[in-house]
Amino acid sequence: MGLIKEPKNIDLSTMSEPWSDEELKDFRLIMQKIKLKNSRRKSAIKKSKQPKHV
Amino acid sequence: MTKKIKIGLDFEVDKLTNSIENLATGEVFDTEIVRLSESGVTQIKKNDWQFNWHKEIKDQSKEVYKLTTVNNPTIIQGLLSIEDKKDHIFMHLIESSKFNKGKGKVYLGVPGNLIAFACKVSVDKGYQGFLAFDAKSSLIKHYEQTLFATHFRNRRMFIETSAALRLISQYFKS
Repeated sequence: MGLIKEPKNIDLSTMSEPWSDEELKDFRLIMQKIKLKNSRRKSAIKKSKQPKHV
Repeated sequence: MTKKIKIGLDFEVDKLTNSIENLATGEVFDTEIVRLSESGVTQIKKNDWQFNWHKEIKDQSKEVYKLTTVNNPTIIQGLLSIEDKKDHIFMHLIESSKFNKGKGKVYLGVPGNLIAFACKVSVDKGYQGFLAFDAKSSLIKHYEQTLFATHFRNRRMFIETSAALRLISQYFKS
């Protein structure tokens, strides 16, 4: 089990500020591209798993 | 927790056994993550925390979760506040308890555990693991290396599908 251990002298705490509309728009573009790639990969895997009819 | 959970990309997690490690002894303790409602606000003493978690719990747009060990569910090891943005999860706040901060911290792995959980929420909701958050400038490199997070711009970072699945598989043994 690979626990992610923070360095002993570092405390990982985060307080996020709201993202601007422009930042969200750009982020959503990146996200869409990755999600599309994921679904293509998923359907390719599904196809390769289908039994071949001879 | 032994619920069988089906997540995206043909990745199945059937046992939720997250854990944290005692820094002094190396002993590993199973943990659980539970959502806090307004009635649970009394479990959080304001002076023990850097951020205003009472305000966070009262905010209807956010979900607040506590991490405890299975054996001791009354002692909060860390807190997480997330928001469902309908296509991704946004992490507003994450904080380890005061005894898990600084050189004398008791347990390692609290933030990683909570972040992996946030990724799992994202997968469960069909957002393919996407998690957005801000990082302290000094920790951006660290998040890239340990959480496989992507630096977007300025302090903005996100975790995408493959990174999220790696984190989930590290914390939620299949």
